[in-house]
Amino acid sequence: MSISLDRVTKRFGVAFGVEDVTAEIPSGALTAILGPSGAGKSTLLRLIGGLLTPDAGRISIDGEDVTDVDPRHRNIGFCFQSYAPFRHMTVAKNVGYGLRARKRPRAEIAARVTEMLELVRLSDLANRYPAQLSGGELQRMALARALAIEPRVLLLDEPFGALDAQVRGELRTWIKELHDQIHVTTVLVTHDQNEAMEVADCLLVLNDGRIEQAGTPTELYDRPVSEFVLRFLGPSTTFEGTSVRPHDLVVVPAGGGTPAAVTEVATLGFEIRVSLRLDDGTSIWVQSSRAEYDALGVSVGDRVGVQRRPGVSSHLVPPAAAAPTEPDGAPVFGVDEQRPGERGVIDAANLTGRQS
Amino acid sequence: MSVAAPSASRRWPLRIVVLGYLAALVGLPVVYLFVKAFSSGFGAFWHEVSQPGSVGALELSAKIAAVVVPVNTIVGVAAALLLARRRFVGRRFLDLTFDVPIAVSPIIVGVALFFAYAERIGWFGPWLLHRGIMVIFSPLGIALASMAVSLPYVLRSVLPVLIEVGEVQESAARTLGAGPWRRFFTITLPAIRWGVLYGVTLTLARTLGEFGAVLIVSGNIQGKTQTLPIYIYDAWDQNYDALASYAGAVVLALISITALVVLSILRGRERKLHVNIA
Repeated sequence: MSISLDRVTKRFGVAFGVEDVTAEIPSGALTAILGPSGAGKSTLLRLIGGLLTPDAGRISIDGEDVTDVDPRHRNIGFCFQSYAPFRHMTVAKNVGYGLRARKRPRAEIAARVTEMLELVRLSDLANRYPAQLSGGELQRMALARALAIEPRVLLLDEPFGALDAQVRGELRTWIKELHDQIHVTTVLVTHDQNEAMEVADCLLVLNDGRIEQAGTPTELYDRPVSEFVLRFLGPSTTFEGTSVRPHDLVVVPAGGGTPAAVTEVATLGFEIRVSLRLDDGTSIWVQSSRAEYDALGVSVGDRVGVQRRPGVSSHLVPPAAAAPTEPDGAPVFGVDEQRPGERGVIDAANLTGRQS
Repeated sequence: MSVAAPSASRRWPLRIVVLGYLAALVGLPVVYLFVKAFSSGFGAFWHEVSQPGSVGALELSAKIAAVVVPVNTIVGVAAALLLARRRFVGRRFLDLTFDVPIAVSPIIVGVALFFAYAERIGWFGPWLLHRGIMVIFSPLGIALASMAVSLPYVLRSVLPVLIEVGEVQESAARTLGAGPWRRFFTITLPAIRWGVLYGVTLTLARTLGEFGAVLIVSGNIQGKTQTLPIYIYDAWDQNYDALASYAGAVVLALISITALVVLSILRGRERKLHVNIA
């Protein structure tokens, strides 16, 4: 069940709107909408879910234009950031709500609720009320409730936002496993790039209401089309006037590369962060492995050289060369005459990892 | 948890002030009323209560309440939904308008209704009379006056609850396939039910007890347009029949007190059932 967004615009005045968004969200994959707060991520999700109506543009799910379809007829599963539990209903009643609204036979509802509660491991809590549940349990209940209606797509708004770090990590892994099990097209919104990189098959990076870039996590990390994407999706430092990943630089003995002095060395277990000052006064930092650093044998105050790591893939790619072109010459990744990376098209066939 | 309780010497003066205040304003007068009503024995009390005038007044009051409470409950909940969930021009104005009938003296409400609907001099009176509808000096006028003076109670009890629970549960129900009526009855109404019940209780108490506005529009026709409060006033002021007036007052007070007690019992049970429901 793929989702197509065609020049979708929704304006609110100040922030949180989306502007001329065109994207193709592949069927069966787990896609993360990623961006800073106010970028319009939740707005985009709500537009797909039908809780908002676009000012312009069309939205279709699996080829069917749903732009003017009420959310209750879209057959989508929507999980709210606050989980939106029905407080006066037990967990089981919550999960069965969508089926009761569809007037399914009682026996079918009971069976489906049991099945869903097993899936999200809440069978023991079936007769509890939401107020008696922890945040993680509420999140799972909300998922079971959304999945019970066998939605075409599952939409999750900041699914881990309100949880503490440990529960967050567990739930992240669990959602990934769950998705492997049921394979429903899933779109989640997050502002946490690590979360997005870990969980998602595809990323849609949003900035100020526009799509900066869309693609697999690896593609976006290794071949960002803009400074924004590069900076947003991982560590960065500025070298020779451009942003680079600190692990794409290497410290070499004095005499090689650009001359610099070591100002600080931080050991983070296996990783070493070397801060340096170039002779022109600018500060940069380099990420290296412990073995590499030990072999170099330098310490704070020493004079060294810095250069790009030979043969690395990660660098800022000019938009036109951002991605291989398809046989007919159309770019796989969004290239627009005015603004690079505005159109986000993710080719399902290009997905790496467990989807293939 | 471990906040130290104030010492006895500091607790007692406050208690005495509060209890004394309540006793002077509520306790003593009510006790006095009951004592007086039963001063000639239960038989005499029952004799007064079962007089045709008294029974007729109670009946009319009950009929008026049976119309006013449901109508004002539906209007109040609808207005609360409108004010909490929609943004529109004139929203603030509508919000304020609901409070006008209780902000002004009930006499003003009565006089205003009189001038609007009186059969000869009123704005709509002649037009309505032409169609056979008499508002003033009829039960219809009493119902209108009662509706006006109890207009905001349901709205004011429901609106804060509605704002507090927010819209997200309704949105969730919508994505799960529920239509507007199902959303209202399965999500919204259960969430606001205590606010609604509280508002209903207040509406009932005010409707049964309203005197000023009703007096103006009713014309005080014995056995026809006399509600219980007017019957009590009439017995007191016109007929110098103190016992009839005490007996009527006790009946009226008992109905309202019963409503409040029932509400508080229901609330207690709800808390016990769903201890953790916020």
